[in-house]
Amino acid sequence: MEARIGSDAKGDCTAIATSESGPKLSVTTKAAELLETGLRTIAERTLADLDVADASIELADAGALDYVVAARIETAVRAVHGDAAKPIVPTVERTVFDADRPRRSRLYAPGNNPRLLAGIDIHGADCVLLDLEDSVPIGEKAAARILVKHVLAAVPFPEEVWVRINALDAGGAEDLREILLGRPHGICLPKSESAGDIERLGSLLDAVETEYGLPKGATKIMAIVETAKGVLNAAQIAAADARLVMIAFGAEDYTRDVGARRSDRSLLFARSQIVAACAAARIQASDTIYADVSDDEGLAEEANLARELGFDGKGAINPRQIPAIHQAFSPSAEEIERAQAIVEAAREAETKGLGAVSLDGRMIDKPVLERAERLMKYAETLAKGGGGRA
Amino acid sequence: MRPFEGAFATSAQGGKAARPQKTAPHNESKILPSIAAAIDACELKDGATISFHHSFRDGDRVINQVLAACAKRGLRDLRLFPTAVFPAHAEIIDHIQSGVISRIEGSMNGPVGAFVSQGGRLAEPAVLRSHGGRWRAIEAGDVHIDVAFIAAPQADPYGNATGSRGKTPCGPISFSTVDAQYADKTVVITNDLAPYPVYPMEIQQGWVDFVVEVDEIGDPESIASGTLQLTKSPTRLRIARLTAEAVIASDRFVDGFSFQGGAGGISLAVTKYLGDAMAEAGIVGSFGMGGGTKLLVDLLHRGLIRSILDGQAFDLDAVESIRQDPAHVMIDPGLYANYDSRGCATYKLDAAFLGATEVDLDFNVNVNTHSDGQLLHGIGGHQDVASGAAITLITVPTLRGRIPVIVDRVTTVTTPGEVIDVIVTERGIAVNPRRDDLAARFSDAGLPVRPLAEIKAEAERLVQPIGRPVFGDEVIAAIEWRDGTVIDVVHKVEGWE
Repeated sequence: MEARIGSDAKGDCTAIATSESGPKLSVTTKAAELLETGLRTIAERTLADLDVADASIELADAGALDYVVAARIETAVRAVHGDAAKPIVPTVERTVFDADRPRRSRLYAPGNNPRLLAGIDIHGADCVLLDLEDSVPIGEKAAARILVKHVLAAVPFPEEVWVRINALDAGGAEDLREILLGRPHGICLPKSESAGDIERLGSLLDAVETEYGLPKGATKIMAIVETAKGVLNAAQIAAADARLVMIAFGAEDYTRDVGARRSDRSLLFARSQIVAACAAARIQASDTIYADVSDDEGLAEEANLARELGFDGKGAINPRQIPAIHQAFSPSAEEIERAQAIVEAAREAETKGLGAVSLDGRMIDKPVLERAERLMKYAETLAKGGGGRA
Repeated sequence: MRPFEGAFATSAQGGKAARPQKTAPHNESKILPSIAAAIDACELKDGATISFHHSFRDGDRVINQVLAACAKRGLRDLRLFPTAVFPAHAEIIDHIQSGVISRIEGSMNGPVGAFVSQGGRLAEPAVLRSHGGRWRAIEAGDVHIDVAFIAAPQADPYGNATGSRGKTPCGPISFSTVDAQYADKTVVITNDLAPYPVYPMEIQQGWVDFVVEVDEIGDPESIASGTLQLTKSPTRLRIARLTAEAVIASDRFVDGFSFQGGAGGISLAVTKYLGDAMAEAGIVGSFGMGGGTKLLVDLLHRGLIRSILDGQAFDLDAVESIRQDPAHVMIDPGLYANYDSRGCATYKLDAAFLGATEVDLDFNVNVNTHSDGQLLHGIGGHQDVASGAAITLITVPTLRGRIPVIVDRVTTVTTPGEVIDVIVTERGIAVNPRRDDLAARFSDAGLPVRPLAEIKAEAERLVQPIGRPVFGDEVIAAIEWRDGTVIDVVHKVEGWE
């Protein structure tokens, strides 16, 4: 039996495990004098961690980083040796989850593409989404989830890091068990259609967190709402679980589901519904990705529209989209000035013992004041570098 | 050979070398029927020094033709003195092995460099110089040229020659103006012999002894060899954006701003970002410095820079622009970069962004060898530009595959840290401790300034340490600084650890 994992694409490697009795390790690489020893070291360490002393491995390197080599070998070995191989539990340092952090941008990265994953942390996004679902072909799901696990451990993410798993009945549960060893901040559930979907994920997370000795509730949930049902159930979804911190809208699938032609108009209901649901549940809302990477103007327009509707951020499929998205979702100088004026007026009113707050002859009521305070806090967080710097 | 003492430590001594005077008979024909005939007419002997330019880059056909003719004539022990050598010149390896060539003074890109790196191939260490350094060495008489062979896209029968016209224009051939004026004999080789007079007279008739017409001198499509695409890699685009933002945050990004980028994918992207930023800020640059590219030409056309100073065309748009736009100024490497002059053009640069194979914690830069000790690249204008620019930025990824780019000590020092101000990587910007002023401005602009050692450590955590070459005593090449001192040598690789 043989398992061949990975590819000869730049930044990847190919690991072939066979059931032939070992131990055997052959390594091919360019610049062998420079690289072979290091590759052997990483391969041997990985095999030791997997606890398979007699494995037979052929490794062909194309400039893969250590964690890619480890992931490809682990995947190949587990495919051949099954339960005899121990899944690797990496050491992970993860920044503490901050519910209030800016989530202006949500940068997707395909979970089985080492070249695009390398350096996914450097683009200054607020959130990074490592994807196991639509960007990973069926035959590569196992390789992807193990690679993502290693990425989670090895890459020094300053961003909040999420993993979009497959639907729970399409491999999502296996995804979960693997990638939770990498302790992402949260899990994105595609095609979230009901509170039940979220509750189901929540229970699974409870069980796995307990099994892995992780703090209960540590792993958050982002619901991706991309169907008619999901949009209609947005309010229940938003309130379904304490772990849920954000709903992201997926326009492509939604448009297809309702049979509409994609436009600002045809998406207005879905967008507004989601924004309202998130506001009622006091969680964040993120708008859909903009597919045309070369259309800077179109992106900026759509991002501004999303901001106008009340979204907190937007998805991105290419790092070059991040600056425009951050610009749309960061408070403008005028907004900050106005918010500052309101907050100061409120402070003044309090010191003077006045019952009502007024500014420029207008009454400032409580919700307006609260929003101004939130905006000031948000602006402060951004100024201190609390979000990504693209 | 004097050792390097500092980037600006030495001063020119004495006067220039001189070629023998010659009085040509009135209107005598200079035309010879073949390269072989020219070799005979020049009385080329064993051990002679022959020189060439590289304006056709990897599309050049002249070096190979001349060497083949020399070999056929039974000549041996020649010293090859090109401005640069490319993979197209791999035949040089055969000529070294057969003894036709025994010394090389000049940059070697690719297979010839790899071959020479094996050691024991040449009678003396190869000598590498920058564009400005080569010019200085010829003027000073450090290298005496017996015959200069000049590939010219168009020439007249009396020897006036240009690179911007003809059947296969390649842009400026001004690399060779110094060869033409200092060699004992100068031969123009053209594939387009045109009626007298040919202009512009980049090569002048008064310098030229003989003219030969051949079928082929080079492929202009290939002058864009290697690196003329804007990078699409997200990592490299990130480096380009950070570089542009660093330049914009400096105190130099004002009206009259001048800059030079190389022709690599990152540099082109930086040039594009700067151009857009200049348009937005309403800044008009005094000049952009070549190698000329379509990107630079576009900036000129958009009115964002007032001129281009150019010694080498990297694509056909640049060739065309030089031909017809006075604001696209053709300059020779002496004007561009000569250390021993009354002031060279790189000294007027505000910003320059250059590449590297390696950089080290002292901000030294290597562009000649790789971490395996192989000599694979020439210096080009790196030393000249880095010395001259007010702000020199090196743009590099932290890793190339599994190989770290930031090292404790570069394998070869091409350009010393004292003239390197900033290193921009995808993981952050490191500023030379000599430039606290820049660091402060970058930080104020919100740029990710980090200690170089920290960036290095972050990259190293992702890969196992690489093997290191063990060097022997044999010196295979000397790296000269702009002033003729030796800044480093390349030893033969004897083993690995």
